[in-house]
Amino acid sequence: MQRDVGSLPLAPALRARLVAAGFQTAQEVLETGPCGLSKDSLLSPEFWLQCTTALGSFENLIVSSRNIEIGISKEEALEALQVVRQECHSDATRTAGAPGTSRKCTALELLEQEQAQGFIITFCSALDNVLGGGVQLTKITEICGAPGVGKTQLCMQLAVDVQIPECFGGLAGEAVFIDTEGSFMVDRVVDIAAACVQHCQLIAEAHQEEDHLKALETFSLESILSHIYYFRCRDYTELLAEVYLLPDFLSEHSKVRLVVIDGIAFPFRHDFEDLSLRTRLLNGLAQQLIIIANDHKAAVVLTNQMTTRIGQSQSTLVPALGESWGHAATVRLIFHWDNNQRLATLYKSPSQKESTIPYHITPHGFRDVQPPAVTQNPEGTEMNPRKRLRREEEK
Amino acid sequence: MALLRAGLCPGLTAEMVPLLRASGLRTVVDFVSSDLEEVAQKCSLSYKALVAVRRVLLAQFSAFPANGADLYEELKSSTAILSTGIASLDKLLDSGLYTGEVTELMGVPGSGKTQVCLSIAASVSLCLKQHVLFLDSTGGFTASRLYQMLQAQPEDEEEQLEALQRVQVVRVFDVYEMLRALQELRDSLSQQVLSSTGPLKVVLIDSVSAVIYPLLGGKQSEGLALMMQLARELKMLAREFSLAVVVTNQVTRDSSAGPLKPALGRSWSFVPSTRVLLESKETTWEKANMQRIASLAKSPRQPTGLQVELDIGNSDVQELSPATPTQGL
Repeated sequence: MQRDVGSLPLAPALRARLVAAGFQTAQEVLETGPCGLSKDSLLSPEFWLQCTTALGSFENLIVSSRNIEIGISKEEALEALQVVRQECHSDATRTAGAPGTSRKCTALELLEQEQAQGFIITFCSALDNVLGGGVQLTKITEICGAPGVGKTQLCMQLAVDVQIPECFGGLAGEAVFIDTEGSFMVDRVVDIAAACVQHCQLIAEAHQEEDHLKALETFSLESILSHIYYFRCRDYTELLAEVYLLPDFLSEHSKVRLVVIDGIAFPFRHDFEDLSLRTRLLNGLAQQLIIIANDHKAAVVLTNQMTTRIGQSQSTLVPALGESWGHAATVRLIFHWDNNQRLATLYKSPSQKESTIPYHITPHGFRDVQPPAVTQNPEGTEMNPRKRLRREEEK
Repeated sequence: MALLRAGLCPGLTAEMVPLLRASGLRTVVDFVSSDLEEVAQKCSLSYKALVAVRRVLLAQFSAFPANGADLYEELKSSTAILSTGIASLDKLLDSGLYTGEVTELMGVPGSGKTQVCLSIAASVSLCLKQHVLFLDSTGGFTASRLYQMLQAQPEDEEEQLEALQRVQVVRVFDVYEMLRALQELRDSLSQQVLSSTGPLKVVLIDSVSAVIYPLLGGKQSEGLALMMQLARELKMLAREFSLAVVVTNQVTRDSSAGPLKPALGRSWSFVPSTRVLLESKETTWEKANMQRIASLAKSPRQPTGLQVELDIGNSDVQELSPATPTQGL
């Protein structure tokens, strides 16, 4: 109740006028009432009674018969009082320890929640190990990389993997794919999904369990494709609008466990004159995404581009969108090339160590690098592991 | 700047308040700084009554001056120094975190700010058995990592689980929610509700710049005001309830090749009394490693520019072991 007026979520002009009129705490605003705040001087007692009953009763409601002129209309005054009352009411329920408090808990409870939460596997066991089991829910994961290194491939793989039924170790969720670059190819998703279904069928045949076979009936190519919700955003306004409307969409589709934004850098990099506006918008976007990830228990995956930073003696590739964007993602993966091998580096993570692993893009999707067989090469030259794998597949 | 209200002090009656308001005196400050003879004439109130009211209001609302020696005694008895759990960081901070002050950790993404915060939470909740409040605004708090750090300590599992219960985590993703959470904390501490907060000693905020950044700059005027509101809340909490407040901040560059500087600008730089910059030993992400350098950028007690090395890769954040000679370079 002693909440400072400056800290209430009111419109700035309204707040400035309240502070200038001398109100210090929310208590004082509530005590004065709407009629005291507004400009009109002739108000009937009946109207005042209506105001007080509409806003509910508080213990210290002092009826003030004279008015303080601070120059706001009655509607603004009523609105301000609604906000103040809402804030104070939710404060009261929170301090009373009501179970509706969604975001406050002890570390022990969080540990139990985390251990019960699943991961979204990537089908590349080395990457899963580096990430601690897979892509984590309730966190933002950012994938940065040069063009052609496999970021969109991983996103499409994750959109399929999130739908794996629970008996096979997946989350049985749905996916939202927001595309800004137009790089989502449906036929590629068909290939990846077919490989995934085949993989699960092989497991079911090996284990022959009831629930595996039942789950396989619903886990088919059509169902996978129908549970990927695709949005195409052409510029940053559409992207921002989509992200701000996403909570409503997710409340309707409560099974969504993955939100992919493929190409968050693209709409913000070209055609942007005001860089400080860009930083503000990106930070606001990051906060909105973490709220979505947290409230709906979903994983948010973003892809970013790389840019060159020219130093004094050398130039390095760094993730795009600037320094402040680096703080937005909770987990950051950087994909890069080393001669002909694709490597993934875990650059930032709150719970895993930094490390680099090789990976592979096959016709079936995102996979591990197969270790080269020991016996096969009498000449002793190093063969490209990619070539080896293709030969094995052709057998 | 309290409003003049009937019943604020014994002499201020309900009839006097509207008369005073009509002559333009709305707040206590207006009243005590006005010429009482004029007011008595304009409002046709008794001069003696007005003088009596002024005396009472001054006694009620003005701050008391304190003797330097008394202040020192009070500080000695109420300030505690909390170890962060990392010996080298303690050395940097002049033996640990001081209660009553705001300490800031800043660094580029991935420099280990959240790891140091988790280490502080682990050490305070396990070794010192005090409660910790963690305000998380980036989603970076991972309970399993905190548990890993606790498991590295020699205490047994029951004590570790108890320590986990002493860490309270609040997820706030918006500046208003953060202000509300701090306000709730202040209410519960002043009412001394022991069960929920316990003997709270440390408040960790990771990070404060994530909630303020979307509001600063451009044509918005409220960003700075909210930032200062937050700063005032933190300092008041630290001072009044003898808490150690630790915040994490980002770093930015002026131009793409300029030096790194802390985010949130010059106004915020006056808020923390101690600032520690965390950076990686290697400059590029291609040669990633676990070693970090912590340097002191601002301190009321130590000379700035002190540097220590930390290792954030293991089960807990440790100081770097002395370099063993490698076998072949």
